[in-house]
Amino acid sequence: MDFFVTSLSGIMAIGPILAMVGSTLLGVLIGALPGLNPVMAIALLLPLTYSMDPLVALGMVAGIYNGSMYGGAIPAILLRIPGTPASIATTFDGFPMAERGEAAKALKIACWSSAIGGIVSAIALMTVGPLLARVTLLFGPAEYFWIAIFGMASVGVMVGTDAVKGILAAVIGLLIGTMGIDSLSGQARYTFDQTWLLGGLDLIVVLVGLYALPPVLQLAEKCDLKGLSAAQLRLLAVPFKPGEIRSMFGTWFRSSMIGVSVGILPGAGGNIAAFLSYNAAKNASDDPDSFGKGNPQGIAAAECGNNADNAASMIPALSLGIPGNVVAALVLSALTIHGLQPGPRLFHSNPELVGGFMFEMLLTSILIFLVGGAAATRVFAQIQRLPGVLLVPSILILMCVGVYVINGRPVDLWVMFAAGVAGYFLEKVNVPLAPIILGMILGPMAEQSVRRALLISRGDASELITRPISAVLALATLGMILWPIIKALRAKRAKA
Amino acid sequence: MVNGQDITLGLIFAIIGGCAAWMASSYNGAGGTYPMILGIVLALLGATIAARAAIATQNEERPLVTAKANLIIALIAGAAYVALVVPLGFYTASALLMLCIPIALGFRRPIFTVVSAAVFVMMVWLIFSVILEKPLPREIWLTLGSGGGA
Repeated sequence: MDFFVTSLSGIMAIGPILAMVGSTLLGVLIGALPGLNPVMAIALLLPLTYSMDPLVALGMVAGIYNGSMYGGAIPAILLRIPGTPASIATTFDGFPMAERGEAAKALKIACWSSAIGGIVSAIALMTVGPLLARVTLLFGPAEYFWIAIFGMASVGVMVGTDAVKGILAAVIGLLIGTMGIDSLSGQARYTFDQTWLLGGLDLIVVLVGLYALPPVLQLAEKCDLKGLSAAQLRLLAVPFKPGEIRSMFGTWFRSSMIGVSVGILPGAGGNIAAFLSYNAAKNASDDPDSFGKGNPQGIAAAECGNNADNAASMIPALSLGIPGNVVAALVLSALTIHGLQPGPRLFHSNPELVGGFMFEMLLTSILIFLVGGAAATRVFAQIQRLPGVLLVPSILILMCVGVYVINGRPVDLWVMFAAGVAGYFLEKVNVPLAPIILGMILGPMAEQSVRRALLISRGDASELITRPISAVLALATLGMILWPIIKALRAKRAKA
Repeated sequence: MVNGQDITLGLIFAIIGGCAAWMASSYNGAGGTYPMILGIVLALLGATIAARAAIATQNEERPLVTAKANLIIALIAGAAYVALVVPLGFYTASALLMLCIPIALGFRRPIFTVVSAAVFVMMVWLIFSVILEKPLPREIWLTLGSGGGA
């Protein structure tokens, strides 16, 4: 109980409150713009948070994350263009409702469903997270090593469509993480006699490049010169039928549970939660044929499911150091830039910060009720009148200012640009980017832990697999890596 | 084509992994073992991707670029911006970028472009230079105006 009281008092200051309100509004705007996504927005935001209080920085991350997941529903309903990948399922019933002249009602359902999903998810984070963190008190260097390897293996295998490419991406991240002076031996590694490489490649510089430049290049390719007209954005108020809201309670409950479960799984994202929730609502419905033709339950399920994934994805990230999705990896990056080491010890060494962030996830979900009302949604929808082509230079400028202010070094701009171009082409050939960042975050922890474990055991490598918890984690990692191979072999056999 | 792309991708990372392992072999003790293992694993994964693509019987279409001209314009403009942001100054280079990219991509509303460039650069200046007081590359016209001093 003390943990929650201290955590809540930490965020009840003007800085974190303003950060949460402002960033939730900004998040809705970002989600409403097709082509922009929460990952890119948070990547752009992180460099600017260096000098901020960590709770202000994390409040901004929470607001952008929750806000943009709801904001993605606005173009999904009005235009059948998902603002974020997690809003794809919202288009199925949202757009048919908009065509019937019920866009305002559909947006209201999306707003309430997003807020409810987010609140349930935050409550799950606040209850399950501390329990899971207690287990980590039993961990030694060998367990820390396996936790890092398991995290990377699970994200490498589960993110994307090709497990080999996912693991390749994680190894790239691990190798980038070894660049610079080795903290244990003092040896310079992969520095190519460049003094600016002695500290290694800055995580945020690479992260901004990888996550912000590819969407910019895609926007340039798409070349939207017009934006929408005012007539396309006119919303008519349509009242709810009697009992219509009450009928959604079951859908909200079911979708929240699905979203939370998906969020806890490393590698699965909001889009999976939305699809599973949508299918579950359809299967449970008395009238499944009405789904896809403008059934409000479809919007409620999809939006509640994708927002219920948000805070739940932070459960493994904050308690074990394994991010459930890319945004959770970015949250770990945010902690790193504030001098905190993500991993199993985080919960015990910085309980106020972790607890404060949990409350920020909860409060920003509640804020969606306030900022996502009908009047506000009308304002947010207007952002779509802006021609997409103007966003290309705007985001490039924000990327450069964000990266330049970290170290004041022009060379970082080139590193960011190179990382972005590499990220653009890697995505095109189905190499996921999240494991690269995760490798950079968890790589140093994995290396230091394995070397400490070997020092303690005087070079006896069996120490890494003979302790009970590390043996379980090693087996889980092996299972995670072998799973796609077994699946492929089974599929081959079934085909033959 | 998917297979051609995957063979190239696999070979690139096999070479990078091999080079990383070879460089790590010159590092002392445990500080070299870890990156050497990573280099070898990267090389093996790259070789697996290339070999898998080479023996695959199906070969689908997977365009690497959807609008080549627009992509090249954005890349050249981005690289030029990164190169000019220090010599020209942050806001001068940013204003030029805001004006040039939309025009180069075919946006033909000059007044809209100028107004949005002015509003955006002003907002960036207010947030980063006035409110957050972040040090950014000095403007060339300020340097010239003060006789070339820093």
